[in-house]
Amino acid sequence: MAVHVAAHGADEVDHLYAETADLRLTGFVLFLISDVVLFSSFIFAYLYLRHSVPQWPWPPGTAPLDTAFAAVNSVVLFGSGATMHFALENWKHGNRSKWFGWLIATIILGSMFLGGQAYEYSHIQATWGGSIFGASFFTLTGMHGFHVFCGVIYLIILGLQTSQNVYTRQKYFGLVAGTLYWHFVDVIWVALFFLFYLL
Amino acid sequence: MSISLAQHHHPQGIDGHIHQAPTSFVRKYVFSIDHKIIGIQYFVTTGIFMAIAGLLAEVIRTQLLSPNAQFVSPDTFNEAFSVHGSAMVWLVIIPMLTGAFGNFVMPLQIGARDVAFPWLNMASFWMFPPAGLLLFGSFVIGAPQAGWTEYPPISGPQYGPPGTTMWCMAIFLVGVSSTLTGINFLVTMYKMRAPGMTFTRMPLFVWAQMATAILSMIATTALAGALLALFLERVFGIPFYDPARGGSPILWQHMFWFYSHPAVYIMILPAFGIISEIFPTFARKPIFGYKAIAFSSMAIALLSFMVWAHHMFTSGLSPSIEVAFMLLTMVIAVPTGIKIFSWVMTLFGGKIHFTTAMLFAIGFIITFLCGGLTGIYLAAVPVDLHLHGTYFIVAHLHYVLFGGSVMGIFAGLYYWWPKMTGRMMNETLGKWHFALLFTAFNLTFMPMHFLGIMGMPRRVSFYVNDPWFIFWNELASIASYAMAGSFLIFLYNALSSLKSGALAGPNPWGARTLEWQIPSPPHYYNFKNIPAVYSAPYEFDKPLPYGNLQDELDDSKVPPQLLHGHGEHAHAGAH
Repeated sequence: MAVHVAAHGADEVDHLYAETADLRLTGFVLFLISDVVLFSSFIFAYLYLRHSVPQWPWPPGTAPLDTAFAAVNSVVLFGSGATMHFALENWKHGNRSKWFGWLIATIILGSMFLGGQAYEYSHIQATWGGSIFGASFFTLTGMHGFHVFCGVIYLIILGLQTSQNVYTRQKYFGLVAGTLYWHFVDVIWVALFFLFYLL
Repeated sequence: MSISLAQHHHPQGIDGHIHQAPTSFVRKYVFSIDHKIIGIQYFVTTGIFMAIAGLLAEVIRTQLLSPNAQFVSPDTFNEAFSVHGSAMVWLVIIPMLTGAFGNFVMPLQIGARDVAFPWLNMASFWMFPPAGLLLFGSFVIGAPQAGWTEYPPISGPQYGPPGTTMWCMAIFLVGVSSTLTGINFLVTMYKMRAPGMTFTRMPLFVWAQMATAILSMIATTALAGALLALFLERVFGIPFYDPARGGSPILWQHMFWFYSHPAVYIMILPAFGIISEIFPTFARKPIFGYKAIAFSSMAIALLSFMVWAHHMFTSGLSPSIEVAFMLLTMVIAVPTGIKIFSWVMTLFGGKIHFTTAMLFAIGFIITFLCGGLTGIYLAAVPVDLHLHGTYFIVAHLHYVLFGGSVMGIFAGLYYWWPKMTGRMMNETLGKWHFALLFTAFNLTFMPMHFLGIMGMPRRVSFYVNDPWFIFWNELASIASYAMAGSFLIFLYNALSSLKSGALAGPNPWGARTLEWQIPSPPHYYNFKNIPAVYSAPYEFDKPLPYGNLQDELDDSKVPPQLLHGHGEHAHAGAH
């Protein structure tokens, strides 16, 4: 069995010692699942609190959320999911310049979403600590916004890493993880948009 | 080699995952990435936490020696039982069964060189000491007083002492650690088994760790949500649990128990796994019902997510929901009963060796069965309405967590001690330890059933001046001192074994799982060559089902790539 190491060059040996992409992919997906549970526990709290009062938003007289604005902002975020998909596909096909183009588009769209969320926050009369309406809305969308913020930072780091040739066409687990994470953030937003704006 | 390797994906290569021989003391014993060292670090840390939390238990029992004792103030009493419970659950039993036993034993049993993410493993461990400091340090500014469950509003900003915030942070930290360990273990067990080790050839301890890892990964993050909400309410005044602003204290109970009921199984499934290793070894007989034991662990893990509200029968749920939770809770007795039946049938007709580990395993069955049966009583709504919040609950939970988990931990410690240290413990002292612990345990906690039925509420520092109340409480307290004494016997035995115990050799018990086929203690690389597995591990009537192990006990035959520490630098380069 030891021949595996002896027969290959130094690079191959190093690769054997490292945590391989396959292990990391499984681990990363499990991490995202556990993050889904974290969101689910807050979503449960939101639905429970909403169910326990006779009307929503609570207390009576609170202005409802601006669904139209949030819908436009959602399209921006979903669009960034598409651009990220194109970015990774171009990387796989060895098209570096298109990778950078789509990645920068994703970073811009993600930042636009965050800006939109900041604009929306500043125009909502309810406050975080004022009522269960504000508590559940700002905590959940804030947690999601924090995830988007981390995602934007992560994508910027990935951009810098690729510009310094950290990844190759064969080994690019970091890019897969970044893309998965970005899609995860998208999917969470689908649930939150439905629960807060449409329900 | 006759087995097909094609069906087993070994992306890291069969020889993969070797890490460098540690070069300095710090890299070997402090910031180690070796799963065995990390496992022992968990043992030592949780052992220290256990001693502190155990002393807090003795504070509780000393206060309850007489009905109106003034040993500590009522506030201090509240702090003592709150921190005792929190520490025993999160800082002792869970990390000992997953972090300590899981880390040391599981990779050896599946024939791997380490866990999937050794660096992450080190990070998980190093979240524990700060968590312990936060929890025990909360005494400085006023420790939490609402019990280990910390129900709002008594844990909320209005009534909870300042230390309750530290409690939130400590439990959040161990939660993150436990989630990451769960992920790490799942990837390890799923991807890194030795060639030929199919799921149904895994040792039962590995099955138990797998069910536990799924629970740790999923349930613990739900608790993180509840803790985060409590933290936000306490620090920023965000109303989740405050009824005045529309919040609901019952919400905490749902979120807390959605985690904490699965946590009960996080605390018992690995002990089930330990027992399933010990019985076939010391009965010299194949385990009875291998698949029944393996799959019942998974059934318990699944069911554990559907029963949380049985802790809330007095919280005002609708009766139809209560009946549903009552029935689902009783269903859990089926897979648990399957396990107990299988263990007893493993002993039946076996050639039983009464080692200390075996005695603890048998003691485990007896005490855990008591705790399990009272669990079925408590699942019945009418009985629970009467017994909720009494000492009957305290008796029940200690029969499962002490009589179950801690007995299992000691069984496992006596069993794997020679593998961890290379030395034997004194069996005579071990048997005295067992006899004293088992007797004192039952004398401490059996009376609490009676007290509970008589109506003594838990978490109160005074009780009614009645001769029977005084008799049972005094008996429990005195027996609890004897229990503390039995821990000293163990400590002496362990220390003298480290100093001058007889050398163990690779396989002192004649066990058949993989960890016993290599030297004790194992080398940092575990296996010289990754073994091949041909069959299930407990077939005592057949030859050992492993290949590729012929060089393991010959120290002159170390493959060269293991001696020249290649590689940690490979981790630094991203791929």
